[in-house]
Amino acid sequence: MDFISNIFAPIYETWFQLSNNQFSLIFDTLFKDDGYIMFGLSFIIIPLISWLLFYYVWKYPYGKLWHWLVWLLITFIFVVGLTYGIANNEIFVSDNQALIDALADSESGYEQFAKTLPLKYALINGILTIGISFIYSLILKQFSKIQIHLPF
Amino acid sequence: MAKKLYIFGIGGTGSRVLKAFTMLLASGCKLKNDFDTVIPIIIDPDTSNGDLNRTKDILRLYQEIRNQIQQPDDFYKQEIKTINELANNSSGINPEYFQFKLEGVEQSTFGQYIGFDSQSDDFKNSKDDKNFIRLLYSDSNLKSDLNVGFKGNPNMGSIVLNQFTDSGNFKKFAQTFNDGDAVFIINSIFGGTGAAGFPLLLKNLRGNHQLPNHAKIKSSQIGGITYLPYFALNRQAEVNSGSFEEKAKIALDYYNRTIIGKNQINTLYFVGNKGNTKHFEYSVGGKEQKNDAHFLELAGALAILDFTKNIDKTTNTTQIKEFGIENTTENISFNDLNIENNKEISSPLTKFKLYTEYLKKGLPISLNVSRWTKSNIKLVKESKNSILDENYFNSSEYKIQIEAFNNHFEDWLKEMGENKPAFNPYNIVDWDNALNLLKGNEPKGNKTFKVLDIENCKLIDDISIKSSIEKKHTTLIKLFGKSTENVLKKRNLLIR
Repeated sequence: MDFISNIFAPIYETWFQLSNNQFSLIFDTLFKDDGYIMFGLSFIIIPLISWLLFYYVWKYPYGKLWHWLVWLLITFIFVVGLTYGIANNEIFVSDNQALIDALADSESGYEQFAKTLPLKYALINGILTIGISFIYSLILKQFSKIQIHLPF
Repeated sequence: MAKKLYIFGIGGTGSRVLKAFTMLLASGCKLKNDFDTVIPIIIDPDTSNGDLNRTKDILRLYQEIRNQIQQPDDFYKQEIKTINELANNSSGINPEYFQFKLEGVEQSTFGQYIGFDSQSDDFKNSKDDKNFIRLLYSDSNLKSDLNVGFKGNPNMGSIVLNQFTDSGNFKKFAQTFNDGDAVFIINSIFGGTGAAGFPLLLKNLRGNHQLPNHAKIKSSQIGGITYLPYFALNRQAEVNSGSFEEKAKIALDYYNRTIIGKNQINTLYFVGNKGNTKHFEYSVGGKEQKNDAHFLELAGALAILDFTKNIDKTTNTTQIKEFGIENTTENISFNDLNIENNKEISSPLTKFKLYTEYLKKGLPISLNVSRWTKSNIKLVKESKNSILDENYFNSSEYKIQIEAFNNHFEDWLKEMGENKPAFNPYNIVDWDNALNLLKGNEPKGNKTFKVLDIENCKLIDDISIKSSIEKKHTTLIKLFGKSTENVLKKRNLLIR
């Protein structure tokens, strides 16, 4: 599993520069408890299912660009919400005693920092969802019978 | 072996039955026993007759549309040609060739035509004598303008129509006749043109030794349908519908002796209607004679299908067949027809009806929205783009061919629905209840045009509906042939 975590973790820690050595307990916990895998699968699997539904299950022959945009927004909201929940759970309901203690210590600054993270992870996944949705759309529309013309 | 069916439509009834038959062919009804080409031939001296010109227009549109479909396999499958196209091996469409023109009838009275006016009144000193002619024809007969036909007088018709068998067109017909080809004749027995033309035509087909291919024509299968009175007129004048029945009886007696008794025809169909007929607007002929379509004309078209289907069962003895329906009703629907007729026409007509309704009421919603109407889809293979885009539906070919034919089809159904007895198998539908089309047969599930749009989207990539050469209507016609079939079949609305 570390292998997969090694793929996803840099996206958040390096690309989006969320990593902070001062609060490494959080990032270590997310890494060890497969939090990054869940974040990664959220922005990969959820949009995939969503766009599979859009292109192959939704039989609506009058689809326009705004339908595609609404679908994207729904997918975005779903992924953002899910990621927020996962991050919140992974950080604040963790089994890692060290992290629990750090969060409980109000002077450590952990709690304040940790509270900002779920939204950040959620928004990062939201951005990734938009990008991957566009890629999925370009691929899936090729084989769609009804929505081949969307987004354009 | 591919065979041809020559259909002679004599007089106004002949034109109207040919119209009904063309509608059946457009909807995908096919002749059995390898008859691949239909050659309609209209015999009517009344060149400005409204029914005649409407039928010629419908036949022209049929040809124009069919010429723009690569290998039609459903709608418009049957080929229709004129004698001229066959004789000259050309494909130029000219509806005038659907009609055998009679010479000397334009701007002339019957008296002028037979030379009566130039004969002498002096019966003692002259060789010819007007008085003898007066024994056979009334003054109104002699002054009658031939431009508008024979106004229900077969004694006039038999003289004038005698000439068409000497015409170039009739010789062309004979030249193109081959082994296995067959002839079908449509006439009414209670008028002038049809009652006179039928025995004359038959006599020439069976016994005119001057004709090219005479032996082939003489021994060919010939069928016919004779209409007994089936409508009345709202005013009695030169043409008196009160005499229709009497004239029919006299003509029947003549036919019985000269045609049926002598086995001149293989199969003769009779159809008529008494009692609950509608009174048509009075007209002696000309462009005012544009009678509403009638269910019995559709029955006549069914007789043509029956004739070709059973052509290998005919004998040398004339077979007489009468048309009937299962239930006595003034509002005929498909379920009132016998099972065989029902199977034959209900599915094709229902498919075609759904297609025409869709193009009128469904297309405005899907045009340039549904992918099957879009030609500008980006980042896909070019073949995924549809040729049925806004440009196609705004093209002059679509408007003046497809739309015009569909309007004729709708008028035809509407007129039959308003006639007596009414043939009214369809509900009036709109977008929301489009599949609730067939009376007495409400399907389950989604009834909107959306289901047809979905089907069109699924089929538009199908290679079998695409044309490899420039044939503009191929995709539209083949697409709807398949999509209407799939949609109606899924909802058990097709009787097979």
